[in-house]
Amino acid sequence: MSFREYDKKTFLIDAANDFTARRISKRSFLKKTAMAGVGFSAFNLGLLGNMRKDRSSLFGSPAWAEEMGDPAVNKWLKDVGSKFKGTKIRYTSEATPPTVVLDKLKGEFTALTGIEVEIEIVPLEQVLAKATQDVQGQLGSYDLYYLDQSWVATFAQDTFDPIALYKDKADLAMPGMDWEDFSKPLVEGLAVYDGHWVGIPFDIPIMTTMWRQDIFDKHKLTPPNTTDEFMAAAKTIYEAEKGNGMFGTGLQAKSGHYSLECDWTQVVWNHGGSIFTKDKKFSGNDEAGIKGLQYYQELLKISPPESTNSTWDGQWQMGASGQIALVNSWDEFFPGWDAADSKVKGLWQAKRPVRGTVPYRAVADAGFGEIPNAAHQGGSILALSKYSKNADAAWIFMQWACSKDIMTRCTLGGGFAPMRLSSFSDPRVKAKEVVGPGTTRHLPVVKEIIDNDMASEPDMPLWAGFSNNEIPVNLGKLLTGQDFGGDAKKCMDAIATQVNKAVADAGL
Amino acid sequence: MTASEVQKKDRLNWLTSEHPLPWLLPASALMIVFGVYPLIAAVLKTLYRKNAATRREIFDPLYNWTKIFEDPRMWDALWHTLAYTLIALTFQLVLGMLIALLLDSDRKGYGILRAMMTLPLVIPPAVTGMMFLLMLNGSFGVIARLIIATGLLPVGYSILGNSATALPGVMLAEIWQWTPFMVLIMLAGLRALPKEPFEAAAIDGATPVQAFFKLTLPMMSKVIAIAVLIRGVDLLRAFDYIKVMTDSGPGTATETLTSYAGRIYFGNSDYPLASSVAILTLVLVILTSTIFMRIFKVKL
Repeated sequence: MSFREYDKKTFLIDAANDFTARRISKRSFLKKTAMAGVGFSAFNLGLLGNMRKDRSSLFGSPAWAEEMGDPAVNKWLKDVGSKFKGTKIRYTSEATPPTVVLDKLKGEFTALTGIEVEIEIVPLEQVLAKATQDVQGQLGSYDLYYLDQSWVATFAQDTFDPIALYKDKADLAMPGMDWEDFSKPLVEGLAVYDGHWVGIPFDIPIMTTMWRQDIFDKHKLTPPNTTDEFMAAAKTIYEAEKGNGMFGTGLQAKSGHYSLECDWTQVVWNHGGSIFTKDKKFSGNDEAGIKGLQYYQELLKISPPESTNSTWDGQWQMGASGQIALVNSWDEFFPGWDAADSKVKGLWQAKRPVRGTVPYRAVADAGFGEIPNAAHQGGSILALSKYSKNADAAWIFMQWACSKDIMTRCTLGGGFAPMRLSSFSDPRVKAKEVVGPGTTRHLPVVKEIIDNDMASEPDMPLWAGFSNNEIPVNLGKLLTGQDFGGDAKKCMDAIATQVNKAVADAGL
Repeated sequence: MTASEVQKKDRLNWLTSEHPLPWLLPASALMIVFGVYPLIAAVLKTLYRKNAATRREIFDPLYNWTKIFEDPRMWDALWHTLAYTLIALTFQLVLGMLIALLLDSDRKGYGILRAMMTLPLVIPPAVTGMMFLLMLNGSFGVIARLIIATGLLPVGYSILGNSATALPGVMLAEIWQWTPFMVLIMLAGLRALPKEPFEAAAIDGATPVQAFFKLTLPMMSKVIAIAVLIRGVDLLRAFDYIKVMTDSGPGTATETLTSYAGRIYFGNSDYPLASSVAILTLVLVILTSTIFMRIFKVKL
């Protein structure tokens, strides 16, 4: 056999041989082996592109995208914004409904101003990492920050106060901004830290009690009002329906993820506890905190086992796939469950969240501005970076993105709760209070929740770390049996030690 | 030779292998910018203590090192790193050798089989992680359903959501993707073995098993050592599958040194502490690979 023939027949073996004999590098070896599988690789890369959930199918009619905005705002954009033609502004965000819709609408802004807008949509933890690196190095890589409510205090020193900016830069102030139109509880719970606005409220997922009417009718259940009623209903459903693959409820209990921290915070508040006391000590390990966690452990027993590996996406899937018929979680789940291709279309209902049977801890008794209540909010704000090199252009975009018309159209596109009071009462939004894609039929309840039940996590610079690491990691150890032997107190004491030490080290 | 010709020759000398400097410069520059500089920066970073509230970094050279060595979570991560490396490596090595022995043939169709072995290698690890994340889902995953059907696990059991089974679940993806790498290296080694010792052994009545243990394995020792070294170093730095499939959880059940460093970096934004864990990982990789090379007399 000639070398050429041999080479042809055993190309891969030859490559491997060269590699083991160190005639070629690992890189060259992999390159050669990859040649054989290049088609497969391309196929998989194609799959990768398609694996991202296309949320557009969850949204409403594309009619919202065909409208061309408020004429007065459009004129302002042309007059003021076009001075910055050719500028490119960037921000990074999680794939929340308003961001996804805004990403679709941004072309209108560019057409009127000539300002390009690049929105990087990445997982939540990457949003935090990118924003953190940007402020740490004062790089100005991002002109705007999408900030989760739990990070607001951390980034408070890195953003412009939009109210002050609106007054100071009168030449760039958008007509009809109407700051009073922003829901007051949202402003206070989300955007304000230490007396000033860190950004503008942009998104407000909030804890809502949701149930499947068909399953409740079948078992003659009434929607729960209290945590005890919730547990009783969940147990009834579990016992009656476990043979059909249905569980009592579903949790977003992924270890080490912020979603688990959100669930835990809510049960602690519902049992009269708080995360911090007024003397800035961690209080998840007090009697109320332990009761809350034990309640959560009980819920876990009647939840799908995948709960401990699920974030909000997994929890939404549980509702969409018929695994659960009762849940206390984010109102933003609702439009997806009503989507055109949903198996549970029209079956889910929403009400104000269940309340604890003991009084909520008073705000004055909690620490770091924490507000214990029945509805944990997971909102976010859009903030203008102090390090932006295109601050004026970004400020124009930010005002436009948070204008009445755009915020209302984002709600129409995504079916999520708006930030502005005018959006809630907008006839177009009211007209969509029917079962169907992009439904807004849950929004009257959400408005009621925002006004009456909204709770907020502590506002402190270390909270982003605690809520993404120490708290959910230790909770994960407890809930999956890795540590603490199922003892809620031991787990909470471990968290208390770590958190209190870090708070003391930081000199807070 | 005229003076100008000598001058020209001297100039051209710089383009020969006798003067490698100009040729090495671009690669060296890249190495310095992307390798040496970040490494020095990371080492220097470890010498500072970061105040999480003010973001100020204060020179305190022992703070991070004391903290990580007193941290039980770091020791857990180190243990997981070593367990992950040893178990995955053993499976890859044994399976790799077995499959290579099966594929070591010139019969028709074996070429296609060998080519197919490369397919898992060209899939990005993150995609592999996603595939296994879905396949191991207790509610609808094909692998999980298969195991549940055999009665080994209860209905709906979450493999990646339980601390007892999460690490083996992640290893499954790792082993599936990188066993073919071992197969290809072993095949290369097997194909390069001389036939004469095997013919002599057969004449002397040696069984295939005896031939394997007395001839194949000793003659393949260098190839195996190189394969183990390469995969071992990769496994000690395991990150992709863990990040995608469990994000170090549940609890810290799948937290390795690199994923722990990632969590401190991205979660707490404590860059000095994260750099310390990263440097510790580097030291571990250098130490283990050096010891391994000494023991097995591997020369690179």
